[in-house]
Amino acid sequence: MIREKRIILRNSGVIDPGSIAEYINAGGYKGLSMALAGTPGKVVEEVVASGLRGRGGAGFPTGTKKQAAAGKDAGTIRYVVCNADEGEPGTFKDKAIMETNPHLLIEGMIIAAYGIDSERGYIYIRGEYYDSINRLQNAISQAYDRGYLGTDILGSGFSFDLEIKPGAGSYLCGEELTMLESLEGKRGYPRIKPPFPAEKGLWGKPTLVNNVETLANLPGIIEHGSAWFRSSGTESTPGTKIFSVCGDVRNPGCYEVDAGVILDDLINDLAGGTRNGKPWKAVLLGGAAGTFVPYSCNDLSLCYERLKERCATLGSGAVIVVGSGRKLIPLMQSILRFFRHESCGKCVPCRIGTTYIHERSLEMPGAGHDPRISILEEMVNHARQMATSSLCPLGQSPILPLETLQRHFSESIATE
Amino acid sequence: MLQAKEMVTFTIDGRTIEAPDDSNLLEIARRNGIAIPGLCYHRKLTPTGACRLCLVKIEGMRGLITSCTVKVAEGMKVTAFDRELEATRKLLLDYLLYEHNDAYDGTYPDELRELVQRYGLDSPENRYFKPVWEKLKFEKDDSSPVLTYDPSKCIKCFRCIKACDEVQGKNVLSFTDRGINSFIIAGTGIWGGSECDGCGECIQLCPTGAIVEKPNRDVINLEKIGSGVVTTCPYCGVGCQIELLVQDGRIVRSNGVEGVSPNDGRLCVKGRFGYEFVHSPDRLTRPLIKRNGSFKEATWDEALGLIAERFTDIRNRYGSDALAGYASAKCSNEDNYLFQKFIRTAFGTNNIDYCTRLCHASTVTAILKAIGDGAGSNPVEDFETTDCLFVIGNNIIDTHPITATYVKRGAVKGQKIIVVDPKWTPLVRYATVWLQPKLGTDIALLNGLVHIIIKNGWTDRKFIEERVEGGLEAFKELEELTARYTPGYVTEITGVPAASLSLAAMLYATSPTAMIATGMGMSQQVTGTHNVFCLINMMLITGQVGRERCGINPPRGQNNVQGATDVGCSPLNYPGYMPVKNDDNRRRVAEVWGVPYESLSPEPGLTTVEIMQAGYDGRIKGIYIMGENPMISDPNLNHTEEALKRMEFVVVQDIFLTETTSFADVVLPASSWAEKEGTFVNSDRRVLRGRKAVECPGEARVDWKIIHELAGRMGWPMPEYRNEDEIFDELARVTPIMAGISYDRLEQGSIQWPCPGRDHPGTPTLYLDGFNTPTGRGRLFPVEYVPQNEQTDGDYPLMLNSGRLLYHYHTATMSRRTKVLRDFVDESFVQIHPGDAGRYDLEDGARVRIESRRGELETTVRISEEVLEGEMFMPWHFTESQVNRLTRDELDPYSRIAPFKLSAVRIIKI
Repeated sequence: MIREKRIILRNSGVIDPGSIAEYINAGGYKGLSMALAGTPGKVVEEVVASGLRGRGGAGFPTGTKKQAAAGKDAGTIRYVVCNADEGEPGTFKDKAIMETNPHLLIEGMIIAAYGIDSERGYIYIRGEYYDSINRLQNAISQAYDRGYLGTDILGSGFSFDLEIKPGAGSYLCGEELTMLESLEGKRGYPRIKPPFPAEKGLWGKPTLVNNVETLANLPGIIEHGSAWFRSSGTESTPGTKIFSVCGDVRNPGCYEVDAGVILDDLINDLAGGTRNGKPWKAVLLGGAAGTFVPYSCNDLSLCYERLKERCATLGSGAVIVVGSGRKLIPLMQSILRFFRHESCGKCVPCRIGTTYIHERSLEMPGAGHDPRISILEEMVNHARQMATSSLCPLGQSPILPLETLQRHFSESIATE
Repeated sequence: MLQAKEMVTFTIDGRTIEAPDDSNLLEIARRNGIAIPGLCYHRKLTPTGACRLCLVKIEGMRGLITSCTVKVAEGMKVTAFDRELEATRKLLLDYLLYEHNDAYDGTYPDELRELVQRYGLDSPENRYFKPVWEKLKFEKDDSSPVLTYDPSKCIKCFRCIKACDEVQGKNVLSFTDRGINSFIIAGTGIWGGSECDGCGECIQLCPTGAIVEKPNRDVINLEKIGSGVVTTCPYCGVGCQIELLVQDGRIVRSNGVEGVSPNDGRLCVKGRFGYEFVHSPDRLTRPLIKRNGSFKEATWDEALGLIAERFTDIRNRYGSDALAGYASAKCSNEDNYLFQKFIRTAFGTNNIDYCTRLCHASTVTAILKAIGDGAGSNPVEDFETTDCLFVIGNNIIDTHPITATYVKRGAVKGQKIIVVDPKWTPLVRYATVWLQPKLGTDIALLNGLVHIIIKNGWTDRKFIEERVEGGLEAFKELEELTARYTPGYVTEITGVPAASLSLAAMLYATSPTAMIATGMGMSQQVTGTHNVFCLINMMLITGQVGRERCGINPPRGQNNVQGATDVGCSPLNYPGYMPVKNDDNRRRVAEVWGVPYESLSPEPGLTTVEIMQAGYDGRIKGIYIMGENPMISDPNLNHTEEALKRMEFVVVQDIFLTETTSFADVVLPASSWAEKEGTFVNSDRRVLRGRKAVECPGEARVDWKIIHELAGRMGWPMPEYRNEDEIFDELARVTPIMAGISYDRLEQGSIQWPCPGRDHPGTPTLYLDGFNTPTGRGRLFPVEYVPQNEQTDGDYPLMLNSGRLLYHYHTATMSRRTKVLRDFVDESFVQIHPGDAGRYDLEDGARVRIESRRGELETTVRISEEVLEGEMFMPWHFTESQVNRLTRDELDPYSRIAPFKLSAVRIIKI
């Protein structure tokens, strides 16, 4: 029987998210004080040493990002942007952090900014997250009042301003370069990569873009040290990870555990097992842009290296459980409709490919003698072409669920 | 100077290629004949990476890379063609055909269609997908006067959006909706309801015919049209290069010519759509002689015979100076050169002038005196790259639209823009600071800026010592004169807040480079010359001249207003600004022309308005007007009308009957710009070729040939020029600034004067080494502000300003004969401040009569905050509301320009 290991969420539900005093009483802003007592270089060093990997989905080493954004030439304007545009279906862990412990994110952002010598930050937040926006805004005001934000923070000489920018409902704006476009007031179209944000980001300046959960890890790393951080999780995925479990489980919700947790333990011990008590049929890991795994993978360890070995992804930490009685075709159609709807239309393969494979998927059930498998194969082929020729990660995503559906569930789909 | 770029060597499909190190891979590949396909890339635009057709493989890089988004690098190994890449491209094209309506009507170049053929997808059975576009139910947008947008033909390549934004700086277009349902909108909806001004850059850059021109849509068949005729736009003085497509003897389209100065393919609405007048049924096709008060058609022989006889008679009876000529800013250098030669020889007078006297005469007078050359100092490209642009009295976006594209592109890159204008202009949107002085207070304002600059030590003392006549002594005089123009005093006179004055002075004086663009607002005043002196003072004491991207420029309003003066249509100067008073010049000109030295008058002639005043007084008895319409363009029209009536003999040579031809005794049918070979000089002194695209209608003749024959008939025969290039060769012999230019050289591209020799490359920037004054130094002219003598009073309580619109041109004889331009604007109006509208109980759209001390007109009210309270603005193009019935013919004493910008009036609701 496994249990949660709450580090990021340790104060969630314990302190009043509207009170900075309670946050400080619970040890909040201690990491920041310690960071400010040392050099910015020390912050970056510690983060590199911690082995923290980005929690937004791609798993890029956070320290490397910070080093890149810190750059060489002093005096350049730099920005820190928090990606709080949590739009991946089945993902709601950032919301939990922002609504239950907003100061943790703010503290993490200030530390990140200090590390790269940035004086200005933005939290780009999903527009529908009203409570998150309100609580963060309240927390930011409090942080200004207490001198954690603004000029000369805690007498350190370091200054940092932080602002919230709500998104307007586009999934694609969660993609970091698209988010920067949107943040600049432009329509959310993806930019050409390279240059990466660390080189040319917001308004062409070096920019550190990190996910909410990633930033929320920084206060702890600074306060307790990288070795402490590495005592959780696995070798290549140190620390804890918040999984948002949903679907056919008894207790859907956010669960913070050691990275590397066994999938079935997460589902059974924490999420209460499946609703009908039978072994689950499939799990979609990482949301719509994630991978399907069959029940034979119930022993999967949820960390980057193990998942990669089994051709699955951790993604944002979404765990969507599909119960035994469910059909997969409607779920697949729903995912493909989602991509079609969210495709920005900028590049040809994604704009047309997402439309085409969705249209094709609608032909699957009841199409005379069983063409379902050949249609699935055709869709996989198209998705693969899209993945090689698309401009941004959206067009590169449908291949993930489709390919794993084909690999693990062809038979099941043929009989639906 | 830009630094020379490093060359790098790399390979594409094993072929070794050398290119500058920051070059775009796709561009370089194509230049080397490697035809990588691609639809969203265009040389003029930032790479988009949308169509994905230009995918290549690059050793060491993961996956497929769009070559349009990559810069070449040393040792790069590129695979542009292999089976996988070609299969991917074919699939992508097949994808496009899934959403694309591929019907083709042969009226536009279709880049997608070419690729579809190349990849064998032209017949539907070879395509993988069944088209889905019909299901998407897109609606055509037909609301614009100039274009139609069909979303079913749109491949969402972003070229139109970027054409509008990055190329033209207008930013009107964007996508709406998402994914496959996305389509282009203008503003927040349809084109017709947007700020689109119809320049058509989007049409020119659309690769699939999703955006097409409306005019001649049912007529054009590209297969019937060979290569177009490259020529110079007939409208403003930017000198845009256009390519005219001619079908069945008619111009059916005008495209911008890519890759050449001054416009690099860009056009405005007039340049792209304004050619319709050429084929107007109103064109004059036979000579007309007035008999018993009405015009009767005549033969050329009758008409020219009569003209020669009457002009000779006047010359014999009253002397040469009883004759005068108006040249034309719309005619070529060759036409104008022969015209002034005709006036100086056959008439024997220097009474030759034209509408430049009414536009930049004061500017030219001031800059000739102070720094030496009667033209702008910089190439048009500098409008983009200078650090600071000081735009004064110049609605550059509406009146010099393509020069303005450079400015807007500069603004995006951080150029500081100072706008000085009593009326809001669209450039204010791009400006760092807008100074809005009361009408006629410019000298106070500029002296105030000089005051601030001196006070803050923003002067360039080294420059003053080395390059200003009198050095620091002369400067001291200016310092003393401007001492009393404190910010407080200047604010009191001009109404401009002191903080704005300081900011403008600081930006102009302290920017690394700064340029001035001055316009009609400065020049068309009784103090026009003094106004420009003040600008030059500011420029000289800050050293913002004599370097690249620094200087002063008067963007010119007509396509050859610069050239006509350059080639001698001036009462003061022979071709090339050689004063007629100088005997050496007389000798030199007489020798080339093969006429007796004594036959050329040593006396400077009368200027445009003076000619009319002399006509009124009975001193001018006969006038030859070529391509001018003074009955709209001259000030105080009631007076002009009377002058023309009093003259004994008036000849007008034009392409239409105009307000002026009514007063003519003989009207000669002439050629439009599209019907002849020739050259024009644009605002940045660029000599540009005009080329013949179509034949003259009926019996109409090329202008210079008419002049040539008339000269012979009057006993002053000119050489038998076989072609226009021979006229130009003679002109080059007389005109030192164009001595090195010939038609041969112009075939290779335009050349900026001065170009004194065959090996001289031309001169992009003036004054780099010295000023063109006798001492080689610039001269300061400190001048005091004097209140205008035209003042409002109880009877005439409002001040009227006049000017131009984007959609119309000069006296509108051309632009109002073009449907799309009329569709945009076809009505006179007066802009009045809401406060004044309330005061006089006027609602928007009310009909009013406006009266000045000289005349009156009727027009329609537009309530607008673009003007200050107490001031009004009216465009002067419209014959039904002739603004110049209201203006004065009181002249600037130095340049003889008239004050079109300032008339005290009253407004009466009808």
